[in-house]
Amino acid sequence: MVAALYFDGMTSGAQVVTLTLDGEWLQMRGEVLAHEWPWHEIKVSERLGDTPRRINLPDGGHCEVADHDALDALLKQGGYRSNWLDGIQHSMRWALLSAILIVLVFAVAYRYLLPWGAEVVAHSIPPNMLQKMGASSLQTPDKLMLEPSKLAPQRQQALRAAYAKLAALPDAQLDYRIEFRSAPQIGPNAFALPDGNIVILDELVASTQNDDEIIAVLAHERGHVEQRHALRMVLQSSAVGLAMTWYMGDVSSLLATVPAILVQASYSRDMEREADEYAARTLTMNGMSPCLLRGILLKLDAAHAKRQAEAVNNKEGSVMDYLASHPATQERSDLLCPAH
Amino acid sequence: MQAQQEHAFEFTGNGRDYFKIWIVNLLLSILTLGIYSAWAKVRRLQYFYRNTRLAGAVFEYHGTPIAILKGRLIAFVLLVAYTVAGNLNLLLAILAFVLLAAVMPWLIVRSLRFKLYNSSYRGLRFGFAGSDGAAYAVFLLLPVLSVLTLYLLAPFAHYKIKQYQHYNSRFGDTFFRFDATAGNFYGIYLKALGLLLLAGVFFGISAALHMSVLMVVLPLVYLYIVGFLAVRLPNLIWSKTGLGEHDLYSRMEVGKYLWIAFTNLLGIVFTLGLYIPFAQIRMAHYKFSCMGLLAQGDLAGFVAGQVQADSATGEETAEMFDLDISL
Repeated sequence: MVAALYFDGMTSGAQVVTLTLDGEWLQMRGEVLAHEWPWHEIKVSERLGDTPRRINLPDGGHCEVADHDALDALLKQGGYRSNWLDGIQHSMRWALLSAILIVLVFAVAYRYLLPWGAEVVAHSIPPNMLQKMGASSLQTPDKLMLEPSKLAPQRQQALRAAYAKLAALPDAQLDYRIEFRSAPQIGPNAFALPDGNIVILDELVASTQNDDEIIAVLAHERGHVEQRHALRMVLQSSAVGLAMTWYMGDVSSLLATVPAILVQASYSRDMEREADEYAARTLTMNGMSPCLLRGILLKLDAAHAKRQAEAVNNKEGSVMDYLASHPATQERSDLLCPAH
Repeated sequence: MQAQQEHAFEFTGNGRDYFKIWIVNLLLSILTLGIYSAWAKVRRLQYFYRNTRLAGAVFEYHGTPIAILKGRLIAFVLLVAYTVAGNLNLLLAILAFVLLAAVMPWLIVRSLRFKLYNSSYRGLRFGFAGSDGAAYAVFLLLPVLSVLTLYLLAPFAHYKIKQYQHYNSRFGDTFFRFDATAGNFYGIYLKALGLLLLAGVFFGISAALHMSVLMVVLPLVYLYIVGFLAVRLPNLIWSKTGLGEHDLYSRMEVGKYLWIAFTNLLGIVFTLGLYIPFAQIRMAHYKFSCMGLLAQGDLAGFVAGQVQADSATGEETAEMFDLDISL
């Protein structure tokens, strides 16, 4: 026997009733009412925590039942099949298993699915569209952190000329121009924009005596562009941002943007390796040694380490330095230039 | 005149139970690339509705996952069309924006109808009878006017939106009342503005003394004002809402609300989101513990509306869909 509240669906009045199962019939008895319905026409709502369950009756009315054990016994007696999720949704073991599976799915998606998807999409964008998209991409960095270059025009001209002589690999799709800028806060660095513009900082030019090493860095940046790394990073971080927004929901859109920024901060190791390999091929084709890139990488590494140490000494932790540093320079140099 | 009786809302959900339901449904949503999230949403709402108790009975949610999926599909198509048009050229972007603005009120009405029709209490469904014409005035004309008047009309627009929403809602065949005035809304918004100005003057002075104090306290002031609005507006809106001869009330406190919101945020950040279901339960607990109904006599006197019988099988349900709009 199950105690329940009966609502007839026509008025808001509640009536205390008891339910019993008599063969194929569900019997309902109250103080002033008695009804019976064929058992197979009864629908019972799925269990959700300790919430009252709802028995929908054929006459449009329903019963609210708070006594779960009694109802379960009644349902069992009637051979009522419960939802397959019923057990799963109420077991701590399944909850923990779900948590682990969610982390796993996210990890696999992040590590494999996302880079693969971004690569497919990035390579499906034609070069002229890339150039259109990138036309204004230097404006924001110019406003935020870059200063005009202080290099003498003759020096710029000489580097441009040296760079112009660097023959491109046969499968190159974009035209390349170099821009000179200065950014004391960033330190020696160069970066590539999606449209083929390569920005080289005065601090990088000053960090070496050998112009060939600068050319090697430019070849490396060219690799980033040809392999659409910047675009892939943008695609990946927006996908991560979207997923985070969806997951965190209404908590805070601010929180959702944080991981996206972290993803965007530096190219992945794989991307650096791809760009290194591209640079090595370009250099070899132009009769230059891939070891040039190794030389400048080590110099840049040392310069950044020095800057970081200085920043720590001056107690002005520079986030920029930390995020921009390329990982595992030693490992990369060995790949580039095994003879050393 | 019958004696007035106070019924407090009671929220009986608990974090542990909800966590189990939430995480299993989250996993299924991820594995189905989001499609299952419509089913998850129905479960979430059912869990919250059935845990909301008033005068001995609970609420019930009847929405179907397919209708929710339909609504999401519509929203997704609109969003994609809008984004693509926005990236192609300016003229198309403006056209897309105008088109979106033009269909939005119509969509909002459908969404409100869906939401209310699919909510019930004591076996009687809620309903929404707002007209499309009024919706265009309230959701399109007034927001445009409020922008044109540099937001001087914004509190008035908010008042009209809430009036449209509550005044056109019904339980069974009994309509809700909305007795707030535009002045009530201006009062709250002006207080918030006053707080902001006062803080500005105060910090103008203290900034001259120490800059770092400003960096800490200014976000706190901003947070307080957000909390102030999040508490005082619902308090006003619900306390001025009635159903037939019965009155509702909401008596949240800014300090308590902010404390819960803030600790919830910390919990979510430090558990990488695992605290989300607990946080939602906690907030619902607080909100409902502050709400109640001042009833004239008992609550058995409501009758089902004519519409309930019609639309249960009518065509209306077939074309219904849900949009995730929160107003």
